[in-house]
Amino acid sequence: MILYETLILTVPEITNDETKQLEKQFDAILQKNKSAKISLDRWGKYKLAQQVNKNNYGVYFLTRYEVDKEHMANLLSELSDYLKLKAANVVMRFMNTALDSRKGLEYIKPLPLDESARDIDKFLKDNKMEGLIAGPTRPITAKPIHHDDLKEIEESLALDEEL
Amino acid sequence: MVKRINLKVSSKLLKKKTRKNATTLVKRCRFSSNPELAKDIDYKNVDFLKNFLTERGKILPARISGNTTKYQRLIAKEIKKARIMALMPYNAVSF
Repeated sequence: MILYETLILTVPEITNDETKQLEKQFDAILQKNKSAKISLDRWGKYKLAQQVNKNNYGVYFLTRYEVDKEHMANLLSELSDYLKLKAANVVMRFMNTALDSRKGLEYIKPLPLDESARDIDKFLKDNKMEGLIAGPTRPITAKPIHHDDLKEIEESLALDEEL
Repeated sequence: MVKRINLKVSSKLLKKKTRKNATTLVKRCRFSSNPELAKDIDYKNVDFLKNFLTERGKILPARISGNTTKYQRLIAKEIKKARIMALMPYNAVSF
């Protein structure tokens, strides 16, 4: 058995239904070629190092699977056919790589945009600048003005003018 | 009697001599001394591969990074893979 992994770069506007369909088709192709899926990770949204298909952002998926030597060539060609042609509106780029079984399945990935973005309040608390944290906004309560109140206001205005 | 002539030594020559006699630090490949580190060489591990790029995003030559040819080849390959997947830049103004 040979370990393989495929890194897929998709359009940033990919919907949940489209990801489900991608996964479904992937599983179907793997089953057809008698190979076992190990994992499918959604990395999240990333800022790309350079524009791809006029997109500055993209979503990465990493899949790993095992294949026999007999079915290997067929599986890879079917996968590339699917990703290149049928899923072309969603998939921008993909890459198949054979894994070294001695290295293990652990890997390090770059931080996605969602995690790398800092929370301002947390940053201020960590750096002991709690005075700068904006308090909860006060609800504005507008009371209807009575005639008696109006008189008081007029008197106060008159006093101000005299002064 | 043989006359002794004091030759004037030019500053250029002096510099050359000092450069020849200077003891410089010997660059060593960090992977060949510690082969377990080579496991980190992977196109997904972008933060580690950034150590082998210049400010512009070009691959550092082995004569500067000190890598042996074997590991330099590996690193260059992984960086090129990461570039294809847009994880690393081909050439950036500020990276």
